[in-house]
Amino acid sequence: MIFTPSVVLRIAAIVLLGLIVQLAWLSQVEVLGSRPDVVPVIVVSLGLLGGSLPGAAIGFAAGLLVDSALLQTMGVSSLILLGVGYLAGRWREVYDISSSLAPPLVAGGLTLAAVAGYALIQFLLGVEAPVSPLIVRDMAVKSLEALALAVPIYPAVRAVLRGALIEERARRRRAMTIPVGIKPI
Amino acid sequence: MYRKQVRRRRAILALLVAASLALLTAYFGESAGGALHGLQRGVLAVLAPIEEGAGRTLKPGRDLIDWAGEVMDAKGENRRLRRERDALRRRLAAAETAARENEELRGLVGLARSEGFPGGYAPLTARVIGRSPTVWYATVTIDKGRSAGIRTDQPVIGPEGLVGRVTALTAGSALITLITDHTSAVSAEVLPSGAGGVVKPAVGDPDDLLLDYIEKGRPVRKGQTVITAGWRSDRLASLFPRGIPIGRVTEASIEERATYQRVHIEPFAELRRMDLVQVLTGGAAGPPGAGTLAAPAARAGSALAGAGGGG
Repeated sequence: MIFTPSVVLRIAAIVLLGLIVQLAWLSQVEVLGSRPDVVPVIVVSLGLLGGSLPGAAIGFAAGLLVDSALLQTMGVSSLILLGVGYLAGRWREVYDISSSLAPPLVAGGLTLAAVAGYALIQFLLGVEAPVSPLIVRDMAVKSLEALALAVPIYPAVRAVLRGALIEERARRRRAMTIPVGIKPI
Repeated sequence: MYRKQVRRRRAILALLVAASLALLTAYFGESAGGALHGLQRGVLAVLAPIEEGAGRTLKPGRDLIDWAGEVMDAKGENRRLRRERDALRRRLAAAETAARENEELRGLVGLARSEGFPGGYAPLTARVIGRSPTVWYATVTIDKGRSAGIRTDQPVIGPEGLVGRVTALTAGSALITLITDHTSAVSAEVLPSGAGGVVKPAVGDPDDLLLDYIEKGRPVRKGQTVITAGWRSDRLASLFPRGIPIGRVTEASIEERATYQRVHIEPFAELRRMDLVQVLTGGAAGPPGAGTLAAPAARAGSALAGAGGGG
């Protein structure tokens, strides 16, 4: 991804919009007994499009925003989401995202890792009440919800950042340089 | 060149992880008036009006999803409510008799009229504008704050019963820590036996609360109602006044070897779907220091108000 002030602004707008939709809408609805979480999906999408370092930095910033907006322990969401963004970015750097199924599957898998990591940190920080086994169901459902959310969100994020994507620019350049007569249909 | 890139990537990653851990440590270490808490309050103050507007705009979408879920639940609930209605009719007759006797007794001993509602409180209605998506922080944000007269540690109720307490404030919004948050603990009493205990949540299951530390000699049966106990001593008082309904006993088993009984209760308040709540402003549980119990600061997540708390 090519970072210009305009692209950074667009990324900030995507994260902020995601957070507002999360707080005002998704956190207030329940699907299969769990509340969908869109922020990890957005971080995964940005990591897949931008790479490991931008993914980690965006995850860190998104986590700070989440912890601030919800008055949660600062640093926890940053730590989790920077890991999510980094791993999503590494995925893109190591494997080719040729299948349209890859982004939702990565989002689902990394969201599961994120909620498990979140639980681990909470246990490390100290939990003062008994923990219900339903927490495992919540993790699994959140992961499935993330998988479903990624289906529209990844293409939407990609469309917003289309002009900044390196492979998109290369594709356009190729399309422009091929003579009209031999241009594939 | 590639090695340099890898080193740079690792260095930045390590820097971000270190920054996260530094933030976490600093947040734990600082008081509720510290810089990071101040930053959070600033962000909340900016986002709260946007959340409120977005919440109103997105409400039809939310209602649609809720409606689908409610239709599924409605059939089973209908049968249960019919049974409950029949039982309540019988209890109503008994309660009316008891209420008459109660009025007479109140007149005799000169107690203030309260009709079961905690006296001296002014309920302030507020709309839920935000909610934590994770089960580890059972919190909601409401659209009224310090400027409306809300103070930290004030009890919050819903139409059906106890919801939680105020744990953080800005001028126009407040954060409510629900009774299902793992830092919550409420001293409670089972009716009619009067058995006392502490209501704690079962993290991850918002429909289940645990009433712990009940003396073994006080039998508790399924279906009995649990209310806040509202204790008071010379210097300290419970954050929650006596008499707020909390829930109904759903499972009561006695383990022979345990020192205390532990029963499961289902909260009366619809903690997952509430749109409106009432903050009990005024009263004894006003500003910190005014007769309230400062609960132990257990985790930084709610250190803004001295978490772990209830009473």
